[in-house]
Amino acid sequence: MLAKELAETLGYIVINNAGLDNEILDGYTSDLLSDVMGNAPEDSVLITIQAHKNTVAVASLAGIGAIILCNNREAPDDMIEAATKEDIAVIKTQDNQFVASYKVYNCLEL
Amino acid sequence: MIINADFHIHSCLSPCGSLEMSPARIINIAIDKGLNLIALSDHNSAKNCPAFYELSKNIPNIRTMFAIEVNTTEEVHCLTIFDNLDSVMKMDAVIEQSLPEIFNDPELLGDQVYVDENDNIIGEENKYLTGASSLSLSQILNITHQLGGLCVPAHIDRAVNSLISQLGFVPQENFDALELSKFYRHTSIPIPDKLAYPLITGSDSHHPDSIGSAYTSFDFDGNLKELSVEILIRLLKTNIPELIINV
Repeated sequence: MLAKELAETLGYIVINNAGLDNEILDGYTSDLLSDVMGNAPEDSVLITIQAHKNTVAVASLAGIGAIILCNNREAPDDMIEAATKEDIAVIKTQDNQFVASYKVYNCLEL
Repeated sequence: MIINADFHIHSCLSPCGSLEMSPARIINIAIDKGLNLIALSDHNSAKNCPAFYELSKNIPNIRTMFAIEVNTTEEVHCLTIFDNLDSVMKMDAVIEQSLPEIFNDPELLGDQVYVDENDNIIGEENKYLTGASSLSLSQILNITHQLGGLCVPAHIDRAVNSLISQLGFVPQENFDALELSKFYRHTSIPIPDKLAYPLITGSDSHHPDSIGSAYTSFDFDGNLKELSVEILIRLLKTNIPELIINV
């Protein structure tokens, strides 16, 4: 499923115009970036509340195509800028990580 | 002269700090231990810094600085160090605004009290001070520099609340130094061999016995009381400070 389709299906908002066509095959939920770096599968969507540019750096290293920011956390400008440069979609939701994970899991038919 | 510096000392304001750690006691023990440059660095607050300043301003053989160990939104602990009270209190106001509305339970988490020069308790901080700020590490870095301070990620070798434990890597930022804990030689965390920043150490004291257990030593040719953040930045860049560990 493409990142834009995932966001659209779940009613989540893509806040940058990047990474929309990234193929999302899996998901990973964590707020500890060193854990994300070590354990997130490639081509996954990261579900987190860590809204800052270092999340983008870790996502890029781990081959993550989209980041879902939960609890309506605001992405700062430098994060959006970095994600756009790395072609990673940044998606926002008011859902928490538990609910977002459940929805993404079902949506990806895992 | 040789400067023996410890920028990482908690007082009774930190919930994890001993009630015996009043600013007066800290200064007295530091002098006894041969330290001549110390910073008070409580978690997310500088409310014991006014007493620390008043107590130390007329003591000739010690230079005090004023720090906050900020817990960033990444839950990375980062020392923000200032050479004057005014700047640290501005930082304190910024951090206070950015803390979550989580209130301290002294029974469970420890007391968060601030005192005057005579160790009298003058107030208690209600918000839980080891919560995470909503400000990111790079935002903290920028604000610290705008206010004329040093920004030093703390105990980068620790398995919790460190740059490496939280991010998994050392980002390329304009940090003034990185702090190694006194246990860095025994860490299980992979520290990169080459770090593009000056390295310092600090005692991270929470109890009087720990003051003097780790400090950073370097040469300074000038008046101790005039040692500033600006001079420190230059000294850290041009000299390789010696990390002294007594544990």
